[in-house]
Amino acid sequence: MSGGIARARLAEERKAWRKDHPIGFYARPVSNPDNSMNLMKWDCGIPGVASSDWAGGVYKLSMEFTDEYPSKPPKCKFVPPLFHPNVYPSGTVCLSILNEDDGWRPAITIKQMLLGIQDLLDNPNPNSPAQSEAYQMFVNNRAEYNRRVRLEARKNIPQDS
Amino acid sequence: MADRYAHLRASLGDELLAKVQAAKLLVVGAGGIGCELLKNLVLTGFLNIHVVDLDIIDVSNLNRQFLFRQEHVGMSKSQVAAAAVKVFNPDATIVAHHGNVKSPEFGLNFVAQFDLVLNALDNVDARRHVNRLCLAKDKPLIESGTTGYLGQVTVIRKGETECYECQPKPTQKSYPICTIRSTPDKPVHCVVWAKELFRLLFGRAEDSMLYEDPAGDEPSAYMATVTARPEASADAITAYAAAVLVAQFETEVAKRIGMDVYKGAKRLPEAVAGGALRALAAEYAQAPSRVARKAGWDRDVWGVEESAREFSACLHDVYSSAALREHVGSMEFDKDDKIAMRFVTAACNLRSVVFHIPLQSYHDAKGIAGNIIAAIATTNAIIAGLQVLEALKIMRAAKPIREACNYVWCLREGTRKGLLLQPTALEPPSKGCFVCGTRTVDVHLDTAALTFGEFVSRVLKSRLGVNEPSVSVGSSLIYEEGEDAAQGLRANLPKRLRDLPGGGVTDGTSLSVEDFSQDLDVTVCVYHRVFDEEEVPDGFVVGGQMPVASAAKPSAEPPSAETGTNGAPAAAAAAAAAAVPAAAAAAAPTAQPAKRGREDGGSEEPPSKRAAATVATAVDTTGGDDDDDVICVGDD
Repeated sequence: MSGGIARARLAEERKAWRKDHPIGFYARPVSNPDNSMNLMKWDCGIPGVASSDWAGGVYKLSMEFTDEYPSKPPKCKFVPPLFHPNVYPSGTVCLSILNEDDGWRPAITIKQMLLGIQDLLDNPNPNSPAQSEAYQMFVNNRAEYNRRVRLEARKNIPQDS
Repeated sequence: MADRYAHLRASLGDELLAKVQAAKLLVVGAGGIGCELLKNLVLTGFLNIHVVDLDIIDVSNLNRQFLFRQEHVGMSKSQVAAAAVKVFNPDATIVAHHGNVKSPEFGLNFVAQFDLVLNALDNVDARRHVNRLCLAKDKPLIESGTTGYLGQVTVIRKGETECYECQPKPTQKSYPICTIRSTPDKPVHCVVWAKELFRLLFGRAEDSMLYEDPAGDEPSAYMATVTARPEASADAITAYAAAVLVAQFETEVAKRIGMDVYKGAKRLPEAVAGGALRALAAEYAQAPSRVARKAGWDRDVWGVEESAREFSACLHDVYSSAALREHVGSMEFDKDDKIAMRFVTAACNLRSVVFHIPLQSYHDAKGIAGNIIAAIATTNAIIAGLQVLEALKIMRAAKPIREACNYVWCLREGTRKGLLLQPTALEPPSKGCFVCGTRTVDVHLDTAALTFGEFVSRVLKSRLGVNEPSVSVGSSLIYEEGEDAAQGLRANLPKRLRDLPGGGVTDGTSLSVEDFSQDLDVTVCVYHRVFDEEEVPDGFVVGGQMPVASAAKPSAEPPSAETGTNGAPAAAAAAAAAAVPAAAAAAAPTAQPAKRGREDGGSEEPPSKRAAATVATAVDTTGGDDDDDVICVGDD
């Protein structure tokens, strides 16, 4: 049963995360209506790197896994969608390691995915634009782009904890 | 300037001294043993020591915690102790941490920096936690404990020796309700009853063992009386005191005799005459509390008359004071609160008179109520000294720890050869240990009655010592605690075990319990079983042993020599006998542990081994659970 493999792996991922995870991040499965954990869907938070314009914000991301995980990567989506050249208007992140036809490998952990996405924030890849607004601004008006990023950071200052 | 280390170089040798000076140690606890230990370590040449203690210095510590002086009262133990021993050797770096060793800042990463950990603790809970941290990080641990004249030192090393939890620890005794309410036969039963009466009168009445539902089938002999709240006038309070005295010590007793509760008893209880009680309650006005009267009052034993007068006096003290009155209904018993303790002594003695049980002085009742064994500075000093000897053996590293080190007992009376210190070989790890061995533990309980919240707090935390449990059933995670825990899962706490998600916990369900702060990973196998509340007041049994083994309970009773008089069944005889010396400070110079313990130097023979283990646990734990810092149970 492939779903069993996915769940077992995700249970391990949760343990590994709780034993050790990067500072400022969070990643936890959502609850089912019966108050057990739904390991197939996680709520995550990615802090902006301190030295960047993203600093101060913690960006909410949902990870949705399928029964084919870890053969296939989870769908990673900023909720709400984020102003960023490599984030689709739906919020979905466009990153090579999250693409099963590109850089995804089953051994990639949730921690590595989140660190990869954090890195992407301040290092957008202009070769694979996913939304036009941020992409155009990034290419044509870097000062205005940076201003928008700082605004995004202010909007995402965590309320508590 | 003379070489500060000349004598150490001469006694230890250059090589060992160099190792000692390079080692980084963690001392957990800066109390009775901790003060001695820190002093010893610094004078033995150790230069790099961290010390953790959450306590502040109390005036009652000064008689044996010699690093502390009057002016330090109220200050942090770890900080004052660190500063004091630093003076002994200014070369030493002593880092004080004022905090609870169970908090995350002293977790696995903290422990990882040390070469050796030394415990100088006063409770089982913290000992278990440090044990688990040291196992997880593979650090040698020198464990210690004292109780009055008794003490022990042992060395724990992952994979080589028994860990702290390889032998089960006796748990805090809980008494069957019927013994307390109807058939007491020891002073401790009367003290427990008196504390329950205190709660009934002044605390949360519904939580008292003596509480009877006013709407229940059977009319209560006393509820209406005790729940009345007298006016602040002296007459009203006297009338109230008289009514409570009569209800408890005449009416209720007579009622139970009438119900034939005591058929077959050797001697029937005798009610105290109500008329006399009424008169004594009223005498309070003419004969104020003896507490104010003379020195040494606390060693006197109050008979019926003085007890009834004190009982009345306490009610007067509470109800005539606006400040105290206000707290009626929410007071908690505190042995250091004079009114509470006078009340408990008085009620205990009246109860004892009714049941022909020996009476107690205020001082002795306080000892029983607070579960107190007087700590002895000399024992602490001996034990701390032994810890340093074991530390030196570990530093020398000439042999594996299990061969190099010993389990050492400090005894009250000498062995047959007249030895007061008895070293025995360390035991290998116990295969069945749920912490360092199989990682499996069986729990028998009622899955339809117990809530998950009770299971977490009573079974996982209190009994198994889990600090921050994460629990899953099959592949369903149902609970997390600690950093980054999913708070939504707290919704499972009020549910019955049977109703938990993932199919519920029923007979034969395995739960996976993990604690990331202790690196603990245990499978808890739950077996459904409904217990008789009288036989198993806790409502659950841990381990393979079933209630039959609860006959061994005396070993866990609070100190008060009463264990000796207990006609313990043969199976539990060893345990009971072993418990007596542990409880002996009270003054019962009875059996001594080593005779039935490991005198043979750690033979593998199960019975002797078992007895020795019981001694060990009785010693470590009596001092143990929470209480007492003040008169000090043992080993803080």
